[in-house]
Amino acid sequence: MNLLQKNKNRSVGLVFFLLGVLFVVFFIADLLLGSIIIPVKQVFLAFFPSSETSESFRTIVLDFRLPKALTAVFTGAALSLSGLQMQTVFRNPLAGPYVLGISAGATLGVALFVLGFSSAFAFGIFSSTGAWSLALVAWAGSFLVMLLILYVSARVNDIMTLLILGILFTSAVTAVVSILQYFSNESMLKAFVIWTMGSLGSVTKSQLMVLAPAITAGIFLAFLKIKDLNVFLLGEDYARSLGVSIKTSRVIIFLSTSLLAGTITAFCGPIGFIGIAVPHICRVIFKTANHLVLVPAVILTGSIVMLFSDIVSQLPGMQTTLPINSVTALIGIPVIIWMIVKNRKFVSV
Amino acid sequence: MKRENINIELKQLSVGYAQPGEAPLEVLKNINFTAAPGEMVALIGSNGIGKSTLLRTLAAFQPWFAGNIQISGKGLKTLHPKEIARIMSFVSTENIRVPNLSVFDLVAYGRFPYTNWIGMLANEDKSVVYEAIEKVGLGGFEQRSVMQISDGERQRAMIARALAQDTPVIILDEPTAYLDVSNKYEIFHLLQVLAVEKKKTIVLSTHDLNIALREVDKLWIVTENGNYQGAPEDAVLQGWLNQMFRNEHVGFDEKEGEFFFKKNFRAKVKVEGEGLPLIWTLRALNRKGYQIVMQVEPDFRVVAKENSWKLIISGTEKEFESIYQLLTFLE
Repeated sequence: MNLLQKNKNRSVGLVFFLLGVLFVVFFIADLLLGSIIIPVKQVFLAFFPSSETSESFRTIVLDFRLPKALTAVFTGAALSLSGLQMQTVFRNPLAGPYVLGISAGATLGVALFVLGFSSAFAFGIFSSTGAWSLALVAWAGSFLVMLLILYVSARVNDIMTLLILGILFTSAVTAVVSILQYFSNESMLKAFVIWTMGSLGSVTKSQLMVLAPAITAGIFLAFLKIKDLNVFLLGEDYARSLGVSIKTSRVIIFLSTSLLAGTITAFCGPIGFIGIAVPHICRVIFKTANHLVLVPAVILTGSIVMLFSDIVSQLPGMQTTLPINSVTALIGIPVIIWMIVKNRKFVSV
Repeated sequence: MKRENINIELKQLSVGYAQPGEAPLEVLKNINFTAAPGEMVALIGSNGIGKSTLLRTLAAFQPWFAGNIQISGKGLKTLHPKEIARIMSFVSTENIRVPNLSVFDLVAYGRFPYTNWIGMLANEDKSVVYEAIEKVGLGGFEQRSVMQISDGERQRAMIARALAQDTPVIILDEPTAYLDVSNKYEIFHLLQVLAVEKKKTIVLSTHDLNIALREVDKLWIVTENGNYQGAPEDAVLQGWLNQMFRNEHVGFDEKEGEFFFKKNFRAKVKVEGEGLPLIWTLRALNRKGYQIVMQVEPDFRVVAKENSWKLIISGTEKEFESIYQLLTFLE
């Protein structure tokens, strides 16, 4: 039996190694491919300041493609990890990063800003400060929702109450946003709709300086709670009987999820699908329920899937890019369907 | 009983739960129960009386209204959840279905209170886990998924998990609820062995009274008219089992140690014969509502032999090949 386990450990190591290789390949491919074709050699030279390469190539690689690739990595990792946490804590295979209403909060912030206030007086600010103001209002929205969730979760015993509150809150926000959309003019509407389609490219280098630490902090909190996540699989009664302080543990996990999903939604818009699908993909690949394996696995796999989506969305060799939200859905849904058909057990966590 | 021989003590306990917007509902009150190390205790009572509430309160899942709970000499309220996890383990009625979770990993969760922050199992933890799996008779099942074993095996795995938690007290909420008869007996027997060998206090709730009466050391009975604790046999002699049911159609046969349906007899019958055919013919006729008589004049007689049953009604005789045929004719 020990031998069997050793074999299992070895194969887990091998899968991680292969995923690592895939990650490096996709990261490099994401730097190489884009609307302008830059020779491979020039891309590498761009990283060395003293090397002789054209300034425009250097600008494209260092100021556009590198931040975008890094954003893809953070986005994939963050959304997948928060999706895994929610599926485990709610013991629901359909839970994702947004079940708590995080993206609804961000959407409300952006909708109020773009469709509401900016129409009257703030449109100048919106256009001059650009994406920063959008990110700030979105973050403020998701942060407020996060505070609400933490406040409620520290007081409510039943986890299902939280799930229902999250769903109701999301529906209420959708209603408010519809009203705002109805009363706003065309250009506002377009600005808002484009935000909801999601974008990795709008994240600037300076925004990355905020995004990266926030995501790292979220991942750190998730690692702290790996042990608790494992026993949450058995339900809260068992977790409690094993000595987990349910409410404290829940607050930390929700804080992590809010940081991860809230930050990404603020800077990139509500990117769907990844958070629900990647944890399932990892469960199928690794055939384990142990979060010590699953947490690093979803971080790595999520990054890979997001890098791939980004490569596809910029339609290599062409001038236009597709909305990232459509790409993640179109790539992912066939994968999920294939997995459902092949492995029916996938439908439960 | 010496004081240090008590592992669990419920004093003047009153349990229930808060209802939002309404007055809190007190389900059970004035409970005084104790349990000693090495004792297996069955909590029995009719459906909905509050057995689960009592066990959940005992397991520190919910607060209580009044009274006191002492575990291993310490007040339950003064203990931190981490301390409680080393004193009491819990097995719920819930059927755990987690894909990709192996029996080994499930049982290893029992080591949670002892492992480091990422839950790494030391060699000592691993041997405790293997020993627990072996103890419940699941040796060789370590790498099987908990989805691919039977309900009985899964329940044993959950008990192994509680065993791996290495606590002096194990609480089980209806551990035999959805098992077949042989599995029910096996689980009871297993728990009995654990109580004796490892000197654990095992408290379980159950509706399988026939088995509980034969296997447990002590009954905790909760009824609307008061509570009882003591040996199952004392409970029978004092008539507690008949009191348990509000239902007038079910009674407890204090001679047989079994429950039966109270029914109106349709006719008197006298049965002759011997051995197993006689015993099961009696049961069949009893089930169909015929009163078995010895002295008084019967309405008809049955002679039971191996593979043949003779019915005698007012002088006429008829032979049957099975009890089923006999009963069908009598209808």
